Amino acid sequence: MALINIVFGLVVGFIFGFILSKTGITKYNRVMGMLLLKDFKILKFMLTAVTFSMILFYLLGDFGLLKVVSKNLDWGKLVGGLIFGTGMGLLGYCPGTMAARIGEGKKEAIFALFGMSLGILIYALSIKYVKTAFLSSEISGDIFSLFGLNKWLIIIPAALIFVGIIYFVNKKFSDNEKIF
Amino acid sequence: MENEKSNEWHWFKGGLLVSLLSVATYFIFAAIADRNYPFGVTAGFGFIAAKFGSLFSGLNENPVIKRFGEKPDAFIEFFLIIGLIIGGYTASKLSGNFKSETIPAEWVKYHGKSIVKRYVFVFVGSLLLGYGAALSSGCTTGNILQGWAHLSLGSMVAGASFFVAGIITAKILYPKVGGSDGTN
Repeated sequence: MALINIVFGLVVGFIFGFILSKTGITKYNRVMGMLLLKDFKILKFMLTAVTFSMILFYLLGDFGLLKVVSKNLDWGKLVGGLIFGTGMGLLGYCPGTMAARIGEGKKEAIFALFGMSLGILIYALSIKYVKTAFLSSEISGDIFSLFGLNKWLIIIPAALIFVGIIYFVNKKFSDNEKIF
Repeated sequence: MENEKSNEWHWFKGGLLVSLLSVATYFIFAAIADRNYPFGVTAGFGFIAAKFGSLFSGLNENPVIKRFGEKPDAFIEFFLIIGLIIGGYTASKLSGNFKSETIPAEWVKYHGKSIVKRYVFVFVGSLLLGYGAALSSGCTTGNILQGWAHLSLGSMVAGASFFVAGIITAKILYPKVGGSDGTN
């Protein structure tokens, strides 16, 4: 079991890192370009991935081949998300692209890897306080039970919204990475 | 710069491949390990944090340290991080983009050559990244690439917050670049 876990992690990570690097998602100017609302290549990449995998997940789910487990909503999602976003803006990359950047020879990313782990350690130290402040009440993350509709009545409009956003930013902005 | 751009994959190709990887990962793991495996990266950093944390005896009973130290997904994601590093290395070597760099060139242009200054930002930024990812239970991979695809309410809020805070931070950091100068 342990060996298969190691191999599985390495293979998935390798493919993921290869795609991220090859598509230019790891670039500092691309991440900052997106956050400055100037270069939307990363957004188009993400929403393409989200739309395809959403449809695949729920199709496979309908055939009983997998079960989608949704993440519940609590205050930690909002507060943690804002903290994470601030960090991403300061760094110019997120955890996955950070690791791929180490492989691309970007030295500061090694420093960031330890910083991020330290951030999680600080989280562990503050867990008692965090639990009562942000994680004490949660609501189910299952959007389908919330609306009580057939799930494809939500999935298809969601896909159309994602594709609409891709279409809009693709038309309005070029993949211009030389914004600096 | 010029040759870097020319050999980049199209966003559609990259996005499609990631969606296949993401679904295959979930699916294969459910088949071999009989549990759902959400494709993510954060728990791998949690695994590193747990290894550091286990050096301090007072932290042995900490629920976060225990979770990241013992759960198989954190162990897998640690190796996923190693895989990401090797994948980034291979892709950049193959396309001739591998370049040893201390700090980003765009940063130097606007904020100067001081390595200390940039490293202070990197340190603070990475602490926030780790803390925020742990609190919102996932990073861009787990909460957007996976969570948005699942339409999880928690992930939609988390992912939207990433962008809101990221956009504000970027604007403060580069007030002039972000201005609407109409060059696009």
